[in-house]
Amino acid sequence: MRKSFFFFLMLLFAAVSVGAGAMAAQKSKPAASTPVVAMDKHAAKGVKCENCHANPKKPQPVAMDKCLTCHGDGAAVAKRTASVKPTNPHDSRHFGTEADCNSCHHQHKPSESLCADCHPSFKFKVP
Amino acid sequence: MSKGNSREGQEMDSYTRTVLDKGLSRRSLLSGVAAGAVGASVLGAGGDALAAKPAADVFGKSSDGAATLSFLKKPVPVADKDVKETLTFDVVVVGAGAAGVTAALSARENGATVAVVQKAPFALSQGNSGTGINLGKSDKAGVEALCARIVADSNHRCNPALIRQWAYNSGEAVHWVIDRAKQGGSPVIDQGNLQQGAIVKFGGYNLDFVTSFFGPKPYTTGDGMRHLAITAEKAGVKFFYNMPADQLVQNASGEVTGVIGKGKDGKFIKFIARKGVIMATGDYQNNKAMSDYFIPDLKYMGRKQIGKTGDGFNMIYWAGGVIEPIGHTKMLHDFDAGPALMCDMPFLAVNREGKRFVNEIVEMSLLNNYLRDAKNAGHYSQIFDSDYMTKATGWPGRLFSPEELKNYMPDVPGPKKGVFESQINTHVADTLEELAKKLEILDTATFVASVKRYNEIVASGQDTDFGKPAKYLIPVEKPPFYGIHRRVRVSAICSGMLVDESHRALDAEGKVIKGLWVVGNLGGGFYGGVDYPLTVFGMSLGRCYTFGYLAGRQVAKL
Repeated sequence: MRKSFFFFLMLLFAAVSVGAGAMAAQKSKPAASTPVVAMDKHAAKGVKCENCHANPKKPQPVAMDKCLTCHGDGAAVAKRTASVKPTNPHDSRHFGTEADCNSCHHQHKPSESLCADCHPSFKFKVP
Repeated sequence: MSKGNSREGQEMDSYTRTVLDKGLSRRSLLSGVAAGAVGASVLGAGGDALAAKPAADVFGKSSDGAATLSFLKKPVPVADKDVKETLTFDVVVVGAGAAGVTAALSARENGATVAVVQKAPFALSQGNSGTGINLGKSDKAGVEALCARIVADSNHRCNPALIRQWAYNSGEAVHWVIDRAKQGGSPVIDQGNLQQGAIVKFGGYNLDFVTSFFGPKPYTTGDGMRHLAITAEKAGVKFFYNMPADQLVQNASGEVTGVIGKGKDGKFIKFIARKGVIMATGDYQNNKAMSDYFIPDLKYMGRKQIGKTGDGFNMIYWAGGVIEPIGHTKMLHDFDAGPALMCDMPFLAVNREGKRFVNEIVEMSLLNNYLRDAKNAGHYSQIFDSDYMTKATGWPGRLFSPEELKNYMPDVPGPKKGVFESQINTHVADTLEELAKKLEILDTATFVASVKRYNEIVASGQDTDFGKPAKYLIPVEKPPFYGIHRRVRVSAICSGMLVDESHRALDAEGKVIKGLWVVGNLGGGFYGGVDYPLTVFGMSLGRCYTFGYLAGRQVAKL
């Protein structure tokens, strides 16, 4: 129950900028030039660079398994979004429950919906 | 043309000669550097020393050796210590699609132990129909006439031997796929000649077809191949999902002896292939740099598939194979926005701006050529009025009644059948202005003017703008007005690696790369035109099944 509320909050964050320190300094700029990226949301929750990157000074791409250690595996994530309309983004005919998180949820650039190009009617908010 | 290219004394055909002369291979890489350093760096055996310190990335070259190509990055050799596990099979298939699953089951049924290494979490494929020729009920001259037509469809640039390979083996292969998929639980049916009405009498000869139909949508060949994979698994084929192949393994003489896959945990597994590796990784439409290089026409066109990054091209290139030169064949369709059987009806067609742009007898499968710019990006709309059921009788395809069209209308509530609900895009409106809005036409005034001009042409009985035959000139004047907003996107790219008539990869000298077969859309030589031809509906999948079936059997019997 708590988790799903958490997820709901994350969805909201997609549209609203996070009030954490780093972001506060940029608030005066137009929203378009300061996209909120998922990394900021992680940071706001106290997740540090080294929680994902083994060596933050020389950061290497992070294997997807890292995401799953906190968020649960694909099936668990899919369960949390089971009621999303018009379809569950985490259980598709293309990937089942095993899509690569980074296909949509980017950390260092704005997230995107991989679905949208082929399915414009799927208006997913991607945190 | 360099000397010594002939394969085992065979006379070389013009297709193969051309690809050897102009294709992309490591030979062009060497044209600018000292030739001494060939070979060893690609071989798995020397991996340990090389892996110790990361070397600079090495990239392949254009066919003239002048340009460095970012999409041809040489795989970094994997040190033996980094290989978590080594598994041995007779045959290793890379890619679980229409060609790969077929090849795997075929090899297994012919006695081989088989592994399938698949990047995705399950088998994948696209489309519904796969076609073969029933030889027993067809005139031999008809088969040859059809082959000649397909060669002409490819602007005479394909390898005719491969067309005949399909023609003379596809009946057997497609029947086999239907039978084995059914065993796995698939509702597949044989549609026979249903879709082939235009070619059952061909040049005065008789032809008879077997057409596997994995459908109706949303069931597709993707589901079909997952059902076929169930049969394959029961037969003993081992599937390794979530396991993208990273590189081919070769011995000192260049023979391909296996594949290295990379698991989700980032660790490598070496798959040793005692008899051979069959590559079936499909096309490269989702590899932007590669698409922009080989088919710049696709720059602004949407993609129907995902994850098709051309991995097999890179692996085979670095194993010594040859990529067909620039001028690859593309396939762009939209069978989904409205009824597929109305896609080639020559109704008034307008582009995104609302302007008439073509003589509408041009088929849907070719319209991409008129819509290649960033603004149109494959979008156009077919426009007709409420008299279409009577005025368009006898046109190519089949008319769907206003009631049937509702199945394709996103604005009409209610359950839809046999369609992808998120792809339907048919509309009806009482005014042209309202229709333009629903069709997302960018300039309503232009659209209304285009319809007015079209109606003048219709009234005059002469298409002085585009020359469409008078029998296809019907007015757009009686509301309600109908529109189908189609958007052609890339279904597939159909050009690939140079192979011989037995689907064995050839090197830059035209010699067989031992241990390496290539099937499906990764294989070259079957097409050559600007666009995939729709003479035989379902030829693409029919070819994938047939060549997978043949290659699997051939490798298993070695």
